[in-house]
Amino acid sequence: MDFSWNEEQRVFRQTVRDFLARHLPADWESLAHGPGSASQTAFSRKFCAHLASAGLLIPHWPARWGGRDADPWTAFLLAEEMWAAGEPRGGQYMNVNWIGPTLMRFGTPEQQARHIPPMARGETLWCQGFSEPEAGSDLASLRTRAEPVDGGYRINGQKIWTSYAGEAETCFLLARTAPGKGGISIFLIPMDTPGITVRQIPSVIGEGDIHEVFLDDVWVPADAMLGTEGQGWSIVGAALSLERVGIPRFALAARMLDRAVGKLKRSGAFVGGVPTQAARAKAACDMSRLCAYGIIDRRRHGVPAGPEASAARYATVLAERAVAEFVVEHCPDALAGGDPMLLAHHQRAIVAGIASGAAEIQLNLIATDLLQLPREPR
Amino acid sequence: MDFRLNDDQLTLATALDRLADGYREKPIEFHGFALSAEGLDQDLSDAEFFDIATFPDLGPVAAALAVERLARLPYAAETALSMLVRPHLRGGTLPRPFALVENGQAGRFVAQARTLLIRTGETWEIAHPGSGDVTAVETIFAYPMGRLTGSVGRLPLSPAEAATVRRWVRVAIAAEAAGLIQAAIDSTVTHLSDRKQFGRPLGSFQALRHRMAECAVLVGGLHWLALRAAATADDGDAALAAFQAQDCGARVAYELHQMLGAMGMTLEHPLHLWTYRLKGLLSLMGGREAQAGAVGIHCFPSETQRNGHGAG
Repeated sequence: MDFSWNEEQRVFRQTVRDFLARHLPADWESLAHGPGSASQTAFSRKFCAHLASAGLLIPHWPARWGGRDADPWTAFLLAEEMWAAGEPRGGQYMNVNWIGPTLMRFGTPEQQARHIPPMARGETLWCQGFSEPEAGSDLASLRTRAEPVDGGYRINGQKIWTSYAGEAETCFLLARTAPGKGGISIFLIPMDTPGITVRQIPSVIGEGDIHEVFLDDVWVPADAMLGTEGQGWSIVGAALSLERVGIPRFALAARMLDRAVGKLKRSGAFVGGVPTQAARAKAACDMSRLCAYGIIDRRRHGVPAGPEASAARYATVLAERAVAEFVVEHCPDALAGGDPMLLAHHQRAIVAGIASGAAEIQLNLIATDLLQLPREPR
Repeated sequence: MDFRLNDDQLTLATALDRLADGYREKPIEFHGFALSAEGLDQDLSDAEFFDIATFPDLGPVAAALAVERLARLPYAAETALSMLVRPHLRGGTLPRPFALVENGQAGRFVAQARTLLIRTGETWEIAHPGSGDVTAVETIFAYPMGRLTGSVGRLPLSPAEAATVRRWVRVAIAAEAAGLIQAAIDSTVTHLSDRKQFGRPLGSFQALRHRMAECAVLVGGLHWLALRAAATADDGDAALAAFQAQDCGARVAYELHQMLGAMGMTLEHPLHLWTYRLKGLLSLMGGREAQAGAVGIHCFPSETQRNGHGAG
């Protein structure tokens, strides 16, 4: 058991940090105020193209698709540094983490040829059309319908809470072709397809983060379907298993905690009960980090992540919450214009337990699969 | 970064589990707080488990794992200080059992110890008590407890030795707490799976499932914090692990007893053999506020010292 980085990993982390130092503008922290905003999306397109040129966008992808088959630690180190810096890749992190790999596994050669190269070049943004007004945690109850018509499908329905939809070129959409979980199919749809309307939802998270997406008689060709009719649920299960420890949120949380404690120490305010609260937040960040590392270690050695992935995800929720609560109590001025990055973190932290499946769903999985408690009756 | 155990560590874990098999159940007739077994200590000694931190390819990580696994037994044994502190002090030659005496208070295994680590404020000394120097005391903490009552000769520890002791006592607290909490959770899961109310197992009620799942997340995190501290021997990692042990220990002990209802108030059910040992760890080394002070010093460098974005 070894808790240190090897030389190759240290060099890679430093390479990423050097890249960030060269390519993030001086006012980056002021810019990073809305992960799906037009300004950050525009910046991300240029930034990801530079990352791709430097071989730092998709090092863990197969060489066939422009990567270098780097191991899962490399991918995670890269993700840590990006998230700690405020995620300058914007929504393109999804391409790198799971959309690209999912298309490699389930896409037709034509779909792969059309969609993967732009991702590998850092040129394109996707959104994830999953949640609906009546289907959030209970995603399998989604109602958006895809009816077979001549040459393709006609899609009607509504998506909600869709991140990046306002700026995305393509949607990874779930729609129903038949009743039940086995009736869910996936469509890869250009967002400029006639019949798609996007409306931004003002949110506490920041500009451009969540949207409603309306689909009115949207015609898509049959070759827009990923996999086969009814295969959507199993594909999404495989895709989200990559995403459960996808975002190293602890990396930015820990950095912001360091910053907040630094401010308090300099002002002589790191006294009384403050160190205890800081230690609690620090412990939460490090537990989240180590639980995630446990999953990456399994991935590295070809061992299934198991229910510990849900525990790692929940540990992240605890970390984000602990740091956000620490900052709001002890550094309120930073959130009132004093520090845009602390503000951005605070705004994003609330997402941890909600996006990609509610924390309570993870707690249920932990109870059933890790603790082996009896299931709830349904 | 590699979280797998090496072959020697895996072999050790298997041997330890085999040894522990004879001590997994609380005797039915035992209705007390401190359950001990001389045979367990002797078995561990015969198999040289107390020295594993010094063996090549085993080291402090293996010792921390052993402490964690042994803490899951209902029997209280003096393993943590012997396995994790003793090897780092004076060449590992001091006689065991070890015990900690803090500010004149009663301590675990003080009446059995052959080496006492004595902390008075920030001053550290060691002593080798005779039978007239210590007195056994009955407490609710599920350890054999004792008090230093005689004027035993004391030898000062150097500042470097004191720092070593502080660091490894903190690792020991974390490793032992991780095992105690895990065993207490396991015991509670058994109850929640067996006990039915309103026609179904208690463990199928979401109000309880979510709280249990949170406990599982906390102990999973503590496990890694403890092992990391053992591996790095870093003062910050040690302080953070001990802080988390004491901070979540208080919460989890109460939470698990609540899960058991009235059954958790009895001495018939074994839960208290883990939770009331856990309570015995909460005040050590000044408790969580003192650990937090050490975390504040060691874990939060000034920003000018940082290189880059700080995720390393």
